[in-house]
Amino acid sequence: MQGFGAILRKELADHFSSYRFLILFALIAMVSLVSTYMVGLDIRHSLEGAAKPRFVFLLLFTASGVGFSLVQFVAFFGPLIGLILGFDAINRERNEGTLSKLLAQPIYRDAVINAKFMASVFIIALMLVSIVLVISGLGLIVIGVVPGPEEILRIAVYLCISIVYISLWLAVAILFSILFRSISTSALSMLAVWIFFTFFVSMGASAIAGALVSGSAADNPAAIVKSARIQNAILLASPMELYNDATSTIIDPMRKTTRKLLQVGVMEQISMSRFSGPLPLSASILVVWPYIVMLLALMLISFGISYAVFMRQEIRSL
Amino acid sequence: MNMHLSGRTGKLFYGIVTLVMLVVWAAAPGPSRADEAACREKKPARLIRMAVEYPGVVVPLGDDVSMDVIFTNKGRSDEDLDVRVAQVPPRWKVRLKTYRYTVTGVHVASGEEKRITFEAHPSKQVTPGDYLFLVAARTPDGKFKFRRRIQVTVRRKNTGNDEVKGVKLTTSYPVLRGPSDAKFEFSLDVESKLDKDAIFDLFAKGPEGWEINFKPAYESKYISSLRLKAGQSSSVAVEVKPPPQAPAREYPLHIRVSSGDARAEATLKVVLTGTYALDVGTPNGLLSLDAHQGKPASLSFYVKNTGSAANNDIKFLSFKPENWKVTFKPQKITTLQPGELKQVELSITPYSEALVGDYAVNVRVAGEKVEKPLEFRVTVKASSAWGWIGIGIILAVVGGLTVLFRKLGRR
Repeated sequence: MQGFGAILRKELADHFSSYRFLILFALIAMVSLVSTYMVGLDIRHSLEGAAKPRFVFLLLFTASGVGFSLVQFVAFFGPLIGLILGFDAINRERNEGTLSKLLAQPIYRDAVINAKFMASVFIIALMLVSIVLVISGLGLIVIGVVPGPEEILRIAVYLCISIVYISLWLAVAILFSILFRSISTSALSMLAVWIFFTFFVSMGASAIAGALVSGSAADNPAAIVKSARIQNAILLASPMELYNDATSTIIDPMRKTTRKLLQVGVMEQISMSRFSGPLPLSASILVVWPYIVMLLALMLISFGISYAVFMRQEIRSL
Repeated sequence: MNMHLSGRTGKLFYGIVTLVMLVVWAAAPGPSRADEAACREKKPARLIRMAVEYPGVVVPLGDDVSMDVIFTNKGRSDEDLDVRVAQVPPRWKVRLKTYRYTVTGVHVASGEEKRITFEAHPSKQVTPGDYLFLVAARTPDGKFKFRRRIQVTVRRKNTGNDEVKGVKLTTSYPVLRGPSDAKFEFSLDVESKLDKDAIFDLFAKGPEGWEINFKPAYESKYISSLRLKAGQSSSVAVEVKPPPQAPAREYPLHIRVSSGDARAEATLKVVLTGTYALDVGTPNGLLSLDAHQGKPASLSFYVKNTGSAANNDIKFLSFKPENWKVTFKPQKITTLQPGELKQVELSITPYSEALVGDYAVNVRVAGEKVEKPLEFRVTVKASSAWGWIGIGIILAVVGGLTVLFRKLGRR
């Protein structure tokens, strides 16, 4: 693909030299390190009384030390990384007039958007991998537990899902940067989308569920279950929810479902506790496979739309 | 009124009274008194007699002879007598005795009767035949001398069971009932009739494969012989253990106790009612199976009758989580003969919203008097159909993207 490599290299160089990236990276790394360190100190406490703790290493990523575990942190602030990397990808070039210059070179137009997207995905992957590696290294020192192959695989799957998730936000951000000529408009609308999916969907879900399920739900198990189902169905519209459910199941082998409210009969409980063991990784993946598929499909579709829009746009006029 | 009687009538009345008086006198015991006096004069000054109770007896071989010797004093004076057994056949031991003493002399008061006991005890060498004993007695002055014969005919004992020689074997409970896996304990009384200490060997003969042991009562060691003092009896326990597979029926056991010639036999009987035992499992020993939510998973397990009695009406019960379905095919086994094996198809359908992971499903096979549990580990797996659908979605999206690239690319 002519020009793709050149643009990719140039984009990466731009990213690495930008202060924005450095500040962002430093912030994320710092928060991650602090939270992991707190978890490391706290982990002894939470392991007390466990007869045979398994998957201790994964606790580094799931246990919340100062209120945020790494998994939650990425779910919440990961979209911001994608947003920051992508909100001005095209319109800044256009505003500075460099896009038409760039396309005057013997470079295909799709190479531009492909390379920009791929460069950002690469940065995201690099960022997440390095954070996870730093946390793992720190964890080895702090808790002195060596992860088993199952745990390493789970962390790898978690990384992949996280990269897809942030790339989804990146794709949406690039789409906005194509749609809106003004950088600030695309940034603000992107922020609005993020806030909508992060805060309003969960608030709206409980409100709608409460409105749909008639009044006295407190002492009626069927009503509680129904309300939880409605809430869950609405929540699944949010990519953040998809990501949360998927990763928390992947990273916690004892978790057997993505459902938040579970109705368990007495006999079912006895029957389950007889062999209460962790799920194998394949079973965990199968449980959240629809979530992973949704995230991946959403990411690809978002990118496809931005690609289509960019390819059909008139760019020489400005 | 008598004053009015005439003089003639008074004479007649007097005459009648006189006649009556005469008759009464004639009937008076005058003559008997005279007779008694005559008797006293007849009783001799000294008269004593001796007799044996049974001058001739027949006894089985090995048995003692015992009888009374009777002395009667018919004289007017008391008498002393020396007594002895004058003739004893060889290998017999005799004794004259009272309930307390061996007797060589006896005092018989006038008009009294006295008995002493004659006892003859044969040794083991005594053979069947006639034996003559002579009991002799004499007064010290030799006026009376008696010799009385006792003829003892010794006969060979009948071979019938109830004739015992030297040892006797009795049991209060000759028949015991129970299942094949039970232990049976008979209690036997062994009574020695020998006149000396002897060691008795204990033998038992039962059906093949049966374990028969002798134990002293209330002790847990096994013995094969028993020492008994003369005339002593002891209780022996016979512990019988049938082989576990012995079919249900009656089994005779022959017990023999012997010491030299002395022997006794007894027949005991054990009635086995059969055992009830079941064995359940899967042909390959695997007790876990995979199932998908809402989809039946099946597994077959076998039920085998390892007891010795037929087991009827074997039911299957399951302990499962709520909303699960567990079915058996057949639903129950009507009859299972000993050693027979039948297969049962088990179908487990997890609840359609069951969580993935491992569940325990317990199956109880309840037969007659026996119950066997079987625990299955059911691993509920997420349906992989969604996996393929997901892959299909992704392929469709990637395909759409490729079409887009083709159509719009290279501008």
